[in-house]
Amino acid sequence: MHSHDFVIQTRALSKRYGRKLALDHLDLAIPRGRIHAIVGANGAGKSTLFRILMGFMPPTSGEARILGRDSQSLTPADRARIGFVNEEHTLASWMRVSQVTAMQRHQYPRWNQQAFDNVIGHYHVLPEQKVGQLSRGERAGFNLALALAQGPELLVLDEPTLGLDVVAKRAFLESLLYSNAADDCTVVYCSHQMEEIERVADNLIILERGQLTHMSAPEDFTARVSHWVADVPFKGPDPRTVPGLLEMQRLDGLHHYLVLDQDDGFEHFLRACGARNAQSMPVSLDRAVNAFLAKHHAAPAAA
Amino acid sequence: MARTSPLMIQVATGDPRPIGRQIVDAVRMKIATGELAPGDQLPSVRGLAQQLTINPNTVAKAYAELATEGWLEARQGMGLYVAAPRQRLSDDERDRRLDDAIGRFVNDVIPLGFPPGEVEARVAHELHQLAPRKRA
Repeated sequence: MHSHDFVIQTRALSKRYGRKLALDHLDLAIPRGRIHAIVGANGAGKSTLFRILMGFMPPTSGEARILGRDSQSLTPADRARIGFVNEEHTLASWMRVSQVTAMQRHQYPRWNQQAFDNVIGHYHVLPEQKVGQLSRGERAGFNLALALAQGPELLVLDEPTLGLDVVAKRAFLESLLYSNAADDCTVVYCSHQMEEIERVADNLIILERGQLTHMSAPEDFTARVSHWVADVPFKGPDPRTVPGLLEMQRLDGLHHYLVLDQDDGFEHFLRACGARNAQSMPVSLDRAVNAFLAKHHAAPAAA
Repeated sequence: MARTSPLMIQVATGDPRPIGRQIVDAVRMKIATGELAPGDQLPSVRGLAQQLTINPNTVAKAYAELATEGWLEARQGMGLYVAAPRQRLSDDERDRRLDDAIGRFVNDVIPLGFPPGEVEARVAHELHQLAPRKRA
C-alpha cells in the first residue's frame, strides 16, 4: 500500500510530558475511507495524538503524517482538507455565529453551504447569537456543520458527543452517517461511548499507554474475548498461570474468567486445574473493550 | 410499481451479537416465518441504516451475507428482493445441522424432567406456528 492510502500515519511517535510518556513510539496507520473509532483509557494519548496530528504541538520524537503531509508543516491548503471537531467545541466565544460562518466560508474554497445548512438545521442556532451563548450541544452541532461544510477529506473528532443530550447526539450521528457531505470523507473519531461506537465504527483502534494494542473491525475484536465460568474447587489456578487472562472474579463460588484469544483449549486448562465443569459464552463489545483496557488500567497498589 | 416492504426489526447495542449479525438473524427469521415473502423488496441500505441509526456499511455487509446465502437477490439497479426458496445447504450439511440442533435441545430439555410426549407435542406446536404460511 502506498503511504498516501493512509490518512494518518505515525512512525515511532513519542511525546513526553516530564516523567510521563503520553505517546510511546506509536506506529499507527489508518487507511483512507470509512469511520475509525479510537478507544483508550483516560491518558492513553488520544488527545495528544490529535494535537500533534493537527500541528498544534510538536512531538518529542518520531514522525506524524496526516493526508500524506508532515503534521508539523501543514499549509492552509492542507488544513482545508482536514475538519477538526474537539470535545470543547472551542471557537472564539465573542464572535457571532454569522461572523464565524462568514470567516470559514471565506477561508475554505470547497465550502458547501448546503452541507452546513443541513447540519445546523438540527439545532436552534441563530446567526446573531454569540458563540459563547450557545449550549454545549449547539456548539457541537455548529462545529460539525462548519467542519462538514469545509468539504474535508478527513474529519477528526475528539469526543464530539460528550455531554450532548439524546436528541442532539442523535442529530450529530445522523449528520455524520447520512449527510452527503460526509460520503467521501474518512472519519477518525475518539470516544468512550461503546454504544455509539458499535453503531458507527467500521474499524476499532485501541490505544493503551501511548501504544497501539489492537486494530480491526469491532466485531472481530469482540470475537477475541470470551467469558468462561468454571466450577473450580478451592482457590483455583494462580492468576499468573491463566492463559490470556484479562479479568477474573469469583462469584457465588464460581470462577469467572474473561480471556483473550483462547479457543476450546481453555476448557482443557480449566479441567486440568480441577474444574468440574466449564462453560463459555461470547461477550458484548462494551464488555470486551472494558476487560481489555482494565488489564493495563491504572489501579492503586494492592494493599 | 414495486414498493419496499417495511422491515420491522430492532437492533440492540451491548449484545454479544454484533449489529450486522442481528440484522442477518432477524431477516432470516422473517423469511423463514413467511413474514417476508419471495419478491418482497427490502429497504435500501441507507434507509435501513437510518431507521436503525447505524453505519450504512453494517447494513451493506449484512445484506451481502444474506445475498451470498441465497436469502436475498439483487435486481440490477432496483435493490434487493427476497429470493425464491431453494435448497441452500447440501443434504449432508442439513442432516448434520439437524443432528446438532436436536442434540443441544435434548441436552437442555432432559434435566427439566417433562414426559417425552409433552415435549414432542410442544415442539410440534411451535413448528406449526412458525411454518411458512404461504402454503395456506
